[in-house]
Amino acid sequence: MLARVVHLLPSELKTLLERLSEQMQEQLEEIRIREGRPLEIGFRGQSRFMMQDGTLRQSADGAYKPSSDTCRKLLERITNYSLYAMEEELRRGFITVSGGHRIGLAGRTILDSGVVRGIRDIGAFNIRVAREVIGASSHLLPKLIDRERKTLHSTLILAPPQQGKTTLVRDIARSVSYGLWPSAEAGNWQGRKVGIVDERSEIAACVRGIPTFDVGPRTDVMDACPKAEGMMMLLRSMSPEVLIADEIGRPEDGEAIREASHAGISVVATAHAFDLQEARGRPVLRKLLDEGAFTYVVELKRTDQGIMHRVVPADAIGRAVQPSSRTAADNVHALSGRLRADDP
Amino acid sequence: MIKLLGAILILFAGTMIGFQQAARFAERPRQLRQLAHALQRLDTEIGYGHTPLPEALERTAVATPEPLASLFRKAASGILETESFTFRESWEQAINLHWDATSMRGNEKAALIRLGSTLGISDKEDQMKHIRLALLQLKAEEDAARDDQGRYEKMWKSLGILIAVLIVILMV
Repeated sequence: MLARVVHLLPSELKTLLERLSEQMQEQLEEIRIREGRPLEIGFRGQSRFMMQDGTLRQSADGAYKPSSDTCRKLLERITNYSLYAMEEELRRGFITVSGGHRIGLAGRTILDSGVVRGIRDIGAFNIRVAREVIGASSHLLPKLIDRERKTLHSTLILAPPQQGKTTLVRDIARSVSYGLWPSAEAGNWQGRKVGIVDERSEIAACVRGIPTFDVGPRTDVMDACPKAEGMMMLLRSMSPEVLIADEIGRPEDGEAIREASHAGISVVATAHAFDLQEARGRPVLRKLLDEGAFTYVVELKRTDQGIMHRVVPADAIGRAVQPSSRTAADNVHALSGRLRADDP
Repeated sequence: MIKLLGAILILFAGTMIGFQQAARFAERPRQLRQLAHALQRLDTEIGYGHTPLPEALERTAVATPEPLASLFRKAASGILETESFTFRESWEQAINLHWDATSMRGNEKAALIRLGSTLGISDKEDQMKHIRLALLQLKAEEDAARDDQGRYEKMWKSLGILIAVLIVILMV
């Protein structure tokens, strides 16, 4: 994964990180660069500090510390030597570069009558390596198919951060858009028009309005747009058949989803929650679930074997939190590519 | 006969030297004006077009006559060619490389180098302020250069030929 972001790094950081073992380079998830402080890298949910000679330690003593010159070079490279062209990105606090990698920034903010206008004196970078897992949704999709309408059921995907929600919805968007229904009876269905509201530029990772991830040929992306507004705009302008939104949770998001489901549009949304019980503790989500805006709820969990999902029909939720008709084990499948071959 | 030929050669050489010196005085305000136009263009690209810096420099180069065009082009290509360069280093390298081809002097060079250390690393308003500051300095230099041109251009033109005549007279 290092190879995907190495072009962003100044030469001294590049040489240092290339000393990592090949396996480590492959598992790299985050590179945290803080000016004058130890260099930290993240992989498989863990983090280590990096020494001058490329070894990894848990303690920060003697770690390599990026100089201000290095940080300046990094900033120039990720902004294409044009910080002035990144005002919107600086207001949001991160830059999305081509390839979908996202670079979080921290530093001293500039305020304009109490509103953050941007960041100056950027002292910390967090490079998050984006990964596109094609086929991540192939086990989940067959369970979400709406046979009558030849489309997807409205689905809410629940998981804590860093569990692969975004990867999953991106793949759902791609499959639905291409018409790659991984199910025998749906084999000859057409692809559907998909609308993605990508508030944080994570799903499609647009650069200047053009998705850098493959989200399918029939997909329209509203990039960096507030979800509620974006959903309404797409509804009015692009007539989507499946609407995808990441991390819903505000009251206006609920409004927009209700509007979409009344218009007969399937909504696939994600939300931060450990499980269904926790999701029901959030008023907006509970209201949506009670009103039947979603047909299915999917819980994701990342385990050693890969990402597991559990599908719960939403009409069962009203009666009991645990699905009564099916056992959890039936519905647990590994989403990871490694285990796919083991599945029937 | 040979004496006459020598005298003509000396006269010719003296005139040419004089004209060349005069041309330098005529050239400098013209190039300063071109540089100011180029920076104004850069200002527009950055302030209104939000064009990324390498592309903005390329576009500026297209609209600027030589030798300034190659300076801008070199600054843009330097960052792509040499991986370890910051923009400031690439800019300074481009200036040092192409400066001798221009008729400009140390003052405007200093102003340009100062501008290079700020380009691309701050927000739009800041960038525009720095470019405008450089423009003001160039304007002042241009005025001074025009004064010099008025004063010395004609002088050098006649001085060259007059010195040549003097040498010929002394030799005869």
